Amino acid sequence: MLSANEIRKVVQERNQHQKGTGKKVVDVREEMERLEAAGEIVIHRIRPENRPVEVSTLFGWKKRIPTDRLWHHKSCGQCGNIPGYPSSLLWLMNETGRTYLNEPHQTSCTAWNYHGTATSNPVALAAVAARNFHRAYETGHFPLIHCGTSYGDYKEMRKLLVENATVRAKVRDVLGKMGRELVLPEEIVHYSEWVHVMAPEILARQKHTVEGIVATVHEPCHYYKMVPEDAVYDEAIYAGQRPAVPSGILMALGAKVADYSTWYDCCGFGFRHILSEREFSRSFANLRKIRPMVEEAHADVAITSDTGCVTTLDKSQWIGKAHGLPYMLPVLSDVQFAALAMGAHPYKIAQVHWHAASAEALMTKMGIDWKAAKAEFREYLQALKNGQAPELLHPAHGEIETYFAINKGQVLPDEAPAAPAGAGGRSR
Amino acid sequence: MTIVAHLPQRALTLTEEESAAPPAMELTGRRRASPEERALSETIFREFHADPRYHEFVLGCLNCGECTTGCPAARFYDFSPREMLQIAETGDATTLWDALQEKIWACCQCYTCNMRCRFGNDIAGIISVMRELSVSHGVASTRKTLAPFGRSLTLLMTVGTQVSSDMIQPDFFRDWGPFATGSDRAWGVGADIMRRAIPSDVLQTTRSSWEVSVQTSLELFRIYEETGVLDMLRGLDPDLTEMLIDIIEERREEFEEARERFRTELEGMRGPVATFRG
Repeated sequence: MLSANEIRKVVQERNQHQKGTGKKVVDVREEMERLEAAGEIVIHRIRPENRPVEVSTLFGWKKRIPTDRLWHHKSCGQCGNIPGYPSSLLWLMNETGRTYLNEPHQTSCTAWNYHGTATSNPVALAAVAARNFHRAYETGHFPLIHCGTSYGDYKEMRKLLVENATVRAKVRDVLGKMGRELVLPEEIVHYSEWVHVMAPEILARQKHTVEGIVATVHEPCHYYKMVPEDAVYDEAIYAGQRPAVPSGILMALGAKVADYSTWYDCCGFGFRHILSEREFSRSFANLRKIRPMVEEAHADVAITSDTGCVTTLDKSQWIGKAHGLPYMLPVLSDVQFAALAMGAHPYKIAQVHWHAASAEALMTKMGIDWKAAKAEFREYLQALKNGQAPELLHPAHGEIETYFAINKGQVLPDEAPAAPAGAGGRSR
Repeated sequence: MTIVAHLPQRALTLTEEESAAPPAMELTGRRRASPEERALSETIFREFHADPRYHEFVLGCLNCGECTTGCPAARFYDFSPREMLQIAETGDATTLWDALQEKIWACCQCYTCNMRCRFGNDIAGIISVMRELSVSHGVASTRKTLAPFGRSLTLLMTVGTQVSSDMIQPDFFRDWGPFATGSDRAWGVGADIMRRAIPSDVLQTTRSSWEVSVQTSLELFRIYEETGVLDMLRGLDPDLTEMLIDIIEERREEFEEARERFRTELEGMRGPVATFRG
């Protein structure tokens, strides 16, 4: 069911059927090269200072994952209600010595809204994507996409901008009115792909064993169903039959990744449903996902790699006890799980207290002294209440950045390929 | 046979009187479209078939049902992606009108149907186009369906993020329980302190998912103005649209004042920060 062989077969059958339509699965990156040569676009290339690692996608095409000098494209849902998701990622980058920018000069992709309310259109979505792409480009940092929907949407928009000259012209015109150019990144990179290729470095810093932990993986739909050919697969993971992320990092850390019958189902987020029709979201999440994970796989934790999936699978469970489904299976992102295994503070960094299903039993099993950490965090909260400055993973932004997307000393990559990170970069 | 014999007798064709004033409800229990609604539905269908995406997304149907088999919404709603695809192909305004009332809003946009379709139909995309047209024509059922989204649309249009932590209030998310909303019930401090405990200054706001600079939000609004999104939103909620324009006007004034205040720092900078004027 939706194995890589099955997907490849479906795509091949489509190509048979679509001989007359001209709609084929093609590597959009090749067309980007032609468009750049014609002066239509600028490609934001991955450079040696991005320290890329090569992986394979569905058809065996190669994809380069940059691991350094990154521009964080945050997720509105993660930052809004599960902030331990991005803070764990920033912490992992600090620990592994990677540089980055985490700026206020980014909008969301706006695709949550589009898929929920349809109050947008493809030209607007493409222009939003291109604005963010250009901002990353002018800072000399490569975009790293936190959200699965942003990742899927940006791949759709990149394809649209490459294939449709009319949309391209409209977007270029809109960008021109704000002094920006049409720049497309060489690769659209999801943070879970960064975690995947960073596995050796994460493993080298692992502090807590996870060998006794049974994890079930929920594969985010917008990671591998929107633009299937760009998802990362690895012969060593499920024999290449399912996406390699986020299972790869769990296996590398030593967790047992257990199968369950509805692994290919969505989580029930539904975009519109999670805000205004949660009867559906919580029914689907509990009945089609959490129950099989617990009853079939006897999971200790559910791991996923997208905003809506963590939200829906986790926060839908509390009400389950009213319907005889009292599971409360902890749900974490891959990067929170990896950070905990590396010794991150469960509350200050992984921020597990924003989750509805408690992670305390899981942390006990991992050998984490969460009681001491929780007491320390309570004291920290009181200190903040009394006016203490908060602990930060990177320098705070100045007041000028409340208003302006300033240059901060960066220069465009083509002018100085080896430019160092600017003042907004990371620090401990 | 016995049961059929006891059913009320009903003529198979409408009388002249019935044709002139058809029953308000169809046998399915759904309300019949008025002549005005039917005319609107026909207009929407014409625009749907004229949309360049129609020919890219609708490629035929084998009637195999693979799309519906894997559909999460089909398990809980009177909804089927196969039906949506076939409505798109038929050109029948009556069935389209029926679908616009509720069914198009059942879809989860998970793309499972797309992934399973041998013909390569983009069914999730077809439904999105139907939704877009329903919004831009201000279909009454759509205004009702999207009524709860005023707050998130305001955020999205003015700062470009979908949610803020102060939207996730325990009163509105009771089903999430007491611990998942940054509530002071769990930790003895307010939501603002819970946000300050996140180790990134950009994330410490309660009013948005992250702090968005004024220039960034004005650039986004320029995109909405230039690409027809603002006009589309007017069809859905004219009052909200006017309010958004007022908010942005204030931000533009704030931006210009800041440009004066930070003139020295901005001198010598290149790129959009030097040229963008709101």
